[in-house]
Amino acid sequence: MRDPVIAGERVYLRPAEATDAEVMAAIDAAETDTFMWRARVPTSPLEHAHWIAEMYEQQPPRHLWLAVCLVEGDRLIGHVGIVDIDWVHRTAETGSVLGPAEVRGQGYGTEAKHLLLEYCFDRLNFHVLVSHVDEPNTRSAAALAKQGYRPAGRLRWTDVKDGRYVDSLVFDLTRADWVAARDAWRARGRG
Amino acid sequence: MDVQGLRPVYLRGPRLYLRAMVEADKEHGGAWLDETFPVNAGRAGKALEEEHRGPIRRVQRRLAIALADGDPVVGSVEITSRDGHRTCQASFSMAPWREDADALRAEALGLLVHWLRDESELMVVTVGVAADQPETIAAAEAAGMVRGARLREWFGRAGGRVDCLIYEALNPRWEVRDA
Repeated sequence: MRDPVIAGERVYLRPAEATDAEVMAAIDAAETDTFMWRARVPTSPLEHAHWIAEMYEQQPPRHLWLAVCLVEGDRLIGHVGIVDIDWVHRTAETGSVLGPAEVRGQGYGTEAKHLLLEYCFDRLNFHVLVSHVDEPNTRSAAALAKQGYRPAGRLRWTDVKDGRYVDSLVFDLTRADWVAARDAWRARGRG
Repeated sequence: MDVQGLRPVYLRGPRLYLRAMVEADKEHGGAWLDETFPVNAGRAGKALEEEHRGPIRRVQRRLAIALADGDPVVGSVEITSRDGHRTCQASFSMAPWREDADALRAEALGLLVHWLRDESELMVVTVGVAADQPETIAAAEAAGMVRGARLREWFGRAGGRVDCLIYEALNPRWEVRDA
């Protein structure tokens, strides 16, 4: 493992590094899923390098993304992160992007998200987190529910899908919610 | 600088008005720049410079909230759009020493929603309001905003926490078109 922030059984999180830029651009180029994204975009290693450098300029950071890597072989497979961090009120929005299609559906994303939540609540001492899901994405909504998030409302007309305006479903997660969900996840054998 | 000439005729209320930021605002950054730690004039000036680098019709814009009487700045509102100019989010930062911050924010919100929704024809204007800010909540509802979400225990307060209520102004002209 290279410089892990927090590690699980199969994946670990580490800071994003400039050397990740080419891999990130290649992951974008290989994207086969048109469901999650409004439009696929060919990205350059240059913009990823700029994004990574900029992220570490501000301390304490307002946004923080961590690379998700496989324990076995150190392969970079995506990112999990927190944005719009409020260090006074101890709140942030969580997000995740898991890379090539072949690594999805194997539980890596769930494990990475649990690591991120553990990092947020146990190390950064956050109190509440929020997450948004575009309306038709029932897969993401179900994943959030398993992680302990609760429905908090609906924001209207946030995006466009199939020629229609779609809503964003809002979920929030307190530390108490997360502890209960984490214990249940562990009792299920991390499935 | 004399800011009298920068008072937009369409963003004036009984007690206050909204205007573009000016360089002299760096001298009282604590009134309008809500950062994790207190800011001095140097940091406030740098923030102003960074915020004004983009094009004139940029997707992020901060407006000063100033009292009509004497022009002191008592806060700011940052308007951010993630999709050009179809929707936007407004975030208020009020001077921490103003005991009437809730009333001032409420008046500013009324001006802002009318301008963005009714004149600029944005489809959605979103604002997060702490549940212990009754005048701002009343102003949001008076402006026709509806509550879209409630984030539990979002803001820390001395000895406790309060929820964040997310209000949205939905443009009825767009609503008709979408129906």
